[in-house]
Amino acid sequence: MKFSIYRFNPDVDKKPYMQDYDVVLEDSDQMLLDALLRIKDLDDSLSLRKSCREGVCGSDSMNINGKNGLACVTKLSDLEEPVVLRPMPGLPVIRDLVVDMTQFFEHYNSVKPYLINNDAPPETERLQSPEDRAKLDGLYECILCGACTTSCPSFWWNPETFVGPAGLMQAYRFMADSRDQALDERLENLEAPDRLYRCHNIMNCVDVCPKKLNPSLAIAKIKDLKFEQAREHKAVAKKHIEIKSL
Amino acid sequence: MMTKLLTKRYPGMRAWLMQRLTALIMAVYSVMLFIRILILQADSYEAFLDFFQPSWFRIASWLFWISLSIHAWLGIRDVFKDYVPNMQMRSVLLKILVVLLWVYIAWASWLFVRK
Repeated sequence: MKFSIYRFNPDVDKKPYMQDYDVVLEDSDQMLLDALLRIKDLDDSLSLRKSCREGVCGSDSMNINGKNGLACVTKLSDLEEPVVLRPMPGLPVIRDLVVDMTQFFEHYNSVKPYLINNDAPPETERLQSPEDRAKLDGLYECILCGACTTSCPSFWWNPETFVGPAGLMQAYRFMADSRDQALDERLENLEAPDRLYRCHNIMNCVDVCPKKLNPSLAIAKIKDLKFEQAREHKAVAKKHIEIKSL
Repeated sequence: MMTKLLTKRYPGMRAWLMQRLTALIMAVYSVMLFIRILILQADSYEAFLDFFQPSWFRIASWLFWISLSIHAWLGIRDVFKDYVPNMQMRSVLLKILVVLLWVYIAWASWLFVRK
């Protein structure tokens, strides 16, 4: 099977180049990651990240024939030859298919991706009704592979300011959690014009998500919540004026 | 009050809301325009002048134009923010856009006001 793979070693190469490989695969090689490991047996200078090999860790996300995805869950039989592999776009390349995800995780950290609850911890778990728990479905499954964020043009052009689909979906995951008490704070945190509103529903994120999640919908729900917040603030402000004028 | 709140506390939401509001106005007008075209079937210059004669339709058309201008300003401003990283160049382009939109608004206003 033929492959064309992006190569760049900053210690040696002045600029990146594409290297062709023609590799004989075994019957057991079903997924793209199997083929990449076969190539790595032939050329151990090729760098890539991988870990769980079953679409859970999100390490081996890369650009596969022009579309971001996970090598371990991409079937070889679905790919056109030569298979063109590049690192995920929009992030600095460390080497070959390995990108520097610092920016991605900085945005992730900025949305405080953890439960904020100031009540004293109960003796058992903080309970949720089945209905409240169901609100987290389609949100908590994100594996932070970065495929969505790095396929988003708004992130390409505003990587320092736009949180990106993965970070925003995690922001909504905690807004939607009945045990969280920091909704207002979380919404205020996203108010700067470029943090949330740079999303223009391009939907690349939905198209590429290997877990079939919908970050675009989560972002739309955050915008709805922000609108509700503004209306509530308006009502409070109005009441304040009425009291003052009495 | 709402405007003040949105401007000071919600600068990001203001543009987003404005884009949706203007889109809604344009959508309603477009449907209305299509229905009027179907009903009146203006097939000559005179008929076309009559088509735009009623005051209510002129006001609606003017509102459509204002909405289009605001919508275009917000959209093109974002495009410039994305694709023109040079701040001086972006500033010049935004100024040109503002002048152009105001000229179009003035022109459209004159067209809709004159008898």
